[in-house]
Amino acid sequence: MTGTIARRLTSIVPVMCVVAICVFLLLHFAPGDPAAIIAGDNATPQNIAAIREKLGLDQPVWRQFVVWVGNLLRGDLGTSLFWGDSVMSLIVQRAEPTLSLAFTTIALAVVVAITLGVVAAARVGSLIDRAVMGFAVMGFSVPVFVVGYALIFAFAINLKWLPVQGYAPIADGVGPWLQHLVLPSFALGMAYVALIARITRATMLDVLAEDYMRTAKAKGVAAAPMLLKHALKNAAVPIVTVVGNGVALLIGGVVITETVFNIPGVGRLVVDAIARRDYPIIQGVIMVFSGVYVLVNLLVDLSYTLFDPRIRG
Amino acid sequence: MKATRRTVMGGSLAIAGLASAPGILRAQARPPAARTVRAVMHGDIPTYDPIWTTANMSAYHGGMVYDMLLGADARGDEPRPQMVRRWGISDDKLTYTFELRDGLRFSDNTEVTSADVVPSIRRWMVRSGSGQLLAQHTRDISAKDAKTFSVVLKEPFSLLLDIFSSTNTPVLFIMRKREAETDPMQKIDQVVGSGPYILNQDETKVGSQYVYDKNPHYVPRSEPASGTAGGKVVKVDRTVYVNMPDSQTAVAALQAGEIDFYEIPPIDLLDQLQSDPAITIENLFDLGLVGHVGLNWLHPPFNNIKCRQAVLHIMNQEDMLRPTFVSPKWYKTCGSYFTCGSAMENDANTGWFKSGPNIPLAKQLLAEGGYDGKPIVMLQATNIPYMSNAATVMAEQLRGAGMKVDLQPMDWAGVVARRVSQAPSDQGGWDIFFTSGAGPSYSDPYTDVSMATNGTKGWFGWPSDEKNEQLRAAWVAAETLEQRKAIAAQIQDNAWNIVPHLHFGQWQQPTAHRKNVTGWLHVPDLIPFWNVEKT
Repeated sequence: MTGTIARRLTSIVPVMCVVAICVFLLLHFAPGDPAAIIAGDNATPQNIAAIREKLGLDQPVWRQFVVWVGNLLRGDLGTSLFWGDSVMSLIVQRAEPTLSLAFTTIALAVVVAITLGVVAAARVGSLIDRAVMGFAVMGFSVPVFVVGYALIFAFAINLKWLPVQGYAPIADGVGPWLQHLVLPSFALGMAYVALIARITRATMLDVLAEDYMRTAKAKGVAAAPMLLKHALKNAAVPIVTVVGNGVALLIGGVVITETVFNIPGVGRLVVDAIARRDYPIIQGVIMVFSGVYVLVNLLVDLSYTLFDPRIRG
Repeated sequence: MKATRRTVMGGSLAIAGLASAPGILRAQARPPAARTVRAVMHGDIPTYDPIWTTANMSAYHGGMVYDMLLGADARGDEPRPQMVRRWGISDDKLTYTFELRDGLRFSDNTEVTSADVVPSIRRWMVRSGSGQLLAQHTRDISAKDAKTFSVVLKEPFSLLLDIFSSTNTPVLFIMRKREAETDPMQKIDQVVGSGPYILNQDETKVGSQYVYDKNPHYVPRSEPASGTAGGKVVKVDRTVYVNMPDSQTAVAALQAGEIDFYEIPPIDLLDQLQSDPAITIENLFDLGLVGHVGLNWLHPPFNNIKCRQAVLHIMNQEDMLRPTFVSPKWYKTCGSYFTCGSAMENDANTGWFKSGPNIPLAKQLLAEGGYDGKPIVMLQATNIPYMSNAATVMAEQLRGAGMKVDLQPMDWAGVVARRVSQAPSDQGGWDIFFTSGAGPSYSDPYTDVSMATNGTKGWFGWPSDEKNEQLRAAWVAAETLEQRKAIAAQIQDNAWNIVPHLHFGQWQQPTAHRKNVTGWLHVPDLIPFWNVEKT
């Protein structure tokens, strides 16, 4: 087991190297100049050139890459071109809202989606099944921002139940924290719920058709234990895989959701940085997101051993 | 000890309580919402140094935490004292002596002296276009004593007081000697000003929210507030700039009362806001904004005067403005080279505007200019609606006159990087780009960088014309408003002949605020949060 983990951790290194090279080259060959943005609209080309020199942006791209990788190897993600703060400190400052949003969204999605998927499988062909599948198609098709605006209009402006935007740190109290996360989590979770509900239903249907399920039914096992203990556990591996893969979907959705609901998280940080071409922040955040994604997939792989003892061998 | 469900729950609650304590204390220290104004501005603050950049958001920040030597009242026709108590001009008009008023203190509670003012002016003169103009006329700036300083000129320069009181960026804000002596090419590293607010760096989260608390050391002037003149009396405890890039969310937040002020509500949502009884639409920038079409003078076809003149006869401002600003109550066409509504507006050489587009004439001019069918590279900032729409419409207008147009969509960041290039358009350069400027900028031919025609040392487009430079210098040297108006007419007559750039009209960008937040002052290029009350 330890050997497996070590091998998997080692395999992360080349992946992150490829990510680093791609991110750097894509950014530096994309049009845009942070110096021109910092200088303002009335700046002359001479002003901009002076700023570019001060920021080191006049150096050849390969030299900038070597400096960045050297810093990266020392754990230094660089410094924001605009604010002068370290990228790591900015990410840490913005991590809590993003982690909160991700946590509440995953929790909500997993609970709702698995329930819907199991119920739909148990009542296959019924009206409930069709409704769940219809919801899944809609949830996957409607963009996050459309759901977000609709929720804001209904629950924040018309009913005035929840705030339109913003984030309350958990340190200010669990109540305000949750109040600010309900709408964003629903908006972000829609596609995730749809994805997991569909895979849960499909996998459950496969498992329910297995001989051992027929045997359990013949032995008189009640419906609920049969579904949850026997069927769901055996259907868990593909569901966990989709939950893990869905993290990429979640990361993409977080960026949009944080913008729509004005949540000052890492997603907003990177959107703002892209608009200004604040290269160190964009590079740093993408490296962190990539690392998180790779680690989540590692955890998902390791979790298979919990659900299927055969994989341990 | 056996862990029961009750002990686990109790322990969890205790940990949660302890974790919440700092936040609860912080929350208790915050002023109540009734004493806090939350404002969504047009963008993020790129740097806290308002001298180092011309970005308006940095100037807004500067207006909060720093003070100005002189102010301009709401009419903007005469400089008024602000940090300065009084000033005098020598008989030969070469020496200006200024005396600081009593009670000026920085937020670190140190006194503001001439030793702070002199390096502040010197640093600003390096970064600012109008400061550089002043530097050309200045022999010396020196402190006489703690409260008195003087500016000695090489020759009379009647714009000095106007420049000191101007809100064109970068604005002359006074900093501590420590920051003022920073290399002008470097950003300052501390925010300590003597303005009406203090930046609360503990609660500020860069890129997300900027928290400004009332400066307890600030002593406002006794006169009523007017523009940047008069008493800067802060009537709330705190102002928070909330960075909210999504306009739909900002509008919803304003309607829900989560914010009090929105600087740039989209024009297409104004009707929705106007129908809300709790919200007022108010135009704080009286002269509005001017649309600017930059032409690249360095390469064909617009290195040829006939081709530039042709564009004057092709462009239809009305068609370019309407898709974005919808109703004429928000926009107007304008044939003046100077902002319509400003003192310099005039009628010289505007036949092209009065007669409207003349495509046969434009085709003739293009032929005379040797236009060979080369595609015109037009930079289109698709993330800024007025620029994007104007580009789409103008591309069609040019095509209608027989020009080929290569409309290149990109974001604004892409445009500002690309427009720096002096290469031909088929080698990474450009032929046409769009931007806008504040109305007051286009009423001042010397401080506005886009009105200079000093070639490749100048602003994007790099127009070059000696006559225009001579007229601008004459405008500066003029001593009366009437003389300046007469020279402005000559500048315009020449400008619509050489066509350094074009304007595609003017528009208002009204702000929206909650009705219970009042006292907004009208200042070009700045949004003051002094004098603002929340009831």
